[in-house]
Amino acid sequence: MSPATVLSPEAAAPGPAHRPPLLSVNGLRKHFPLKGGLFGRTTGVVRAVDGVSFDVAEGETLGIVGESGCGKSTTARLLVDLITPDDGQILLESRRLGVDLDVRELRRHVQMVFQDSYASLNPRLTMEDAIAFGPRVNGMPAAQATALAHELLSKVGLEPRRFAGRYPHELSGGQRQRVNIARALAFSPKIVILDEAVSALDKSVEAQVLNLLADLKKELGLTYIFISHDLNVVRYISDRVMVMYLGEVAEIGPVETLYANPTHPYTRALLAAMPSMDPDRRTEEAPLSGDPPNPINPPSGCRFHPRCRNAESLCSGGSPGLFKLPSDRHLVACHAAIPGSGHSLAEVTA
Amino acid sequence: MTMPLVEMKDVTVRFHGARTVHAVNGVNLALMPGETLSILGESGSGKSVTLKTLLRLLPENRTEIGGEVRVAGTDVLSLDGRALANHRGGVVSMIFQDPMLALDPVYTIGDQIAEAVMRHEGISRQAGLARALDMLTRVRIPSPERRMKAYPHEMSGGMRQRAMIALALACRPKLLLADEPTTALDATVQIQILLLLRELQREFGMAMIFVTHDIGVAVEVSDRIAVMYAGEFVETGTVQQIIREPRHPYTKGLLAANLHGAVKGERLDAIPGAPPALETRPVACSFAPRCPVRAESCETGRPPVATFDPGRMVRCIHAVEPAMAAG
Repeated sequence: MSPATVLSPEAAAPGPAHRPPLLSVNGLRKHFPLKGGLFGRTTGVVRAVDGVSFDVAEGETLGIVGESGCGKSTTARLLVDLITPDDGQILLESRRLGVDLDVRELRRHVQMVFQDSYASLNPRLTMEDAIAFGPRVNGMPAAQATALAHELLSKVGLEPRRFAGRYPHELSGGQRQRVNIARALAFSPKIVILDEAVSALDKSVEAQVLNLLADLKKELGLTYIFISHDLNVVRYISDRVMVMYLGEVAEIGPVETLYANPTHPYTRALLAAMPSMDPDRRTEEAPLSGDPPNPINPPSGCRFHPRCRNAESLCSGGSPGLFKLPSDRHLVACHAAIPGSGHSLAEVTA
Repeated sequence: MTMPLVEMKDVTVRFHGARTVHAVNGVNLALMPGETLSILGESGSGKSVTLKTLLRLLPENRTEIGGEVRVAGTDVLSLDGRALANHRGGVVSMIFQDPMLALDPVYTIGDQIAEAVMRHEGISRQAGLARALDMLTRVRIPSPERRMKAYPHEMSGGMRQRAMIALALACRPKLLLADEPTTALDATVQIQILLLLRELQREFGMAMIFVTHDIGVAVEVSDRIAVMYAGEFVETGTVQQIIREPRHPYTKGLLAANLHGAVKGERLDAIPGAPPALETRPVACSFAPRCPVRAESCETGRPPVATFDPGRMVRCIHAVEPAMAAG
């Protein structure tokens, strides 16, 4: 792991913001050992998340995009300590997890909604019990917890009289996802992580849930981390977008900048791979060939270099690290974008 | 004038069992050779069932199919035994969302393709293997000689999808049915597969029916689009007509929900509610309970079917009003 992939302190500074970020992640890393062979020896490691750093400001929505194996879901799980990181820091309001912030408190402030609405709910609990469960085990009296559950159900658009006593299998996918959102809100969290939370829903239902998320955010002053592979949805909902590739951050920046002016070749390819909505101007050439490589043995240097059109010998040598572009809060990890890097497309510095 | 390759007339599909489901309720369709139609709809709309009807892949004992289905002049609903086996994979072939379920895990890719060709064309194993290699090359699998001997689990997702396409096209079918073949793929791989299908279709001159819930995918591959809701086509037209002048409120809702061009921070024009359960055959407009422009008559009787040019149909009371048609 070269130190270059970790943000330099200067780049990590949240720009001109005056307050510290709500959530700050520094050099997050998680490698999963691959067991195999005769005595279950470790035969390799999956570098799922490899030195990821970013900040989330209060009240913003950070979108995380990338293809399968890029580490976006692992990052989400690391943030709520569902998986323990090998390395790196997680700071919530400048308090560091494991030092002056414990997991219990972190999870009260950071809640998560998953893609599979059915697997996320206990099949033997009614909706009101599922929502009241968390507050109850955290010491809330049963009657109060049930009242809270009813309040949350109506907040997510499900009439408590009709839905409180139902079981997960009696609800549609969209309704179940509303319950999962209600449950995530039971602790009045500051941050809600939505990991492909609308991806399994039909388009018309997805639009309903997106409207609900927007309403809740405004009403409760929430901060979202929105993980999705759907670039249209991410553009609509996010303030800033982070693009991940093979366990690393390729590019991060304000949504308008990133979509209008993508700098990393991978971001450009992802955007170009979106199906055209104009029948007279259909896509004529695939922006990338082949499948995303496996994070077990990621390529050396810049991990994107084997698929990159602009790759030069420099790219397989060293990892570029995130570089702060002159435009506000826009960072990119590409040699060609770093002045003086020696890449033929990079600006030459004196 | 050439004959349509596929003709479906008032096709209905009903599933019996613990409860009855009216999955397809009167589908009419004519597809010309070499043409691509996308059936666009949400889960439960009957789009996959419509496809499977063309191959008779639905469970015989629980399914009641009505109407008429003809492919290349053959009455598909009366096919039996050997003739049905020849129809499947010979005249009409299908690719699926999950290639792991479509490919046999215990045979190599080369053997599977060769076997299909030997069975359908009665050629030797050697000729079958030669065809398999040719097909793997055509679907652009890198180092095809080596991949002939690979098992499905040894390939990546995109490569398996290519292998399944090679298998489906090995016997040169006249019609390829594609049931969400790119839904499980990553974005950069999806576009590769869509372009490959477009290219192979041109090369082989086959017709294609493509089932998807993604409007963008439909735009990339098809000439025409049929929008399906509650077991019926509610609107059909060319891709341009559907994208630029949608007339059915459901089509308009779907286009808005695609979020292409949605303005950040603005509320989405979401279609409220959920599709009907289809336990009975619809007696009114199935979309009326969710429709923003419903009239009283929408909930009491079947909506009129407005046809414009051939292939352009809208099943909505508002489509026949000139004022709406102009808008």
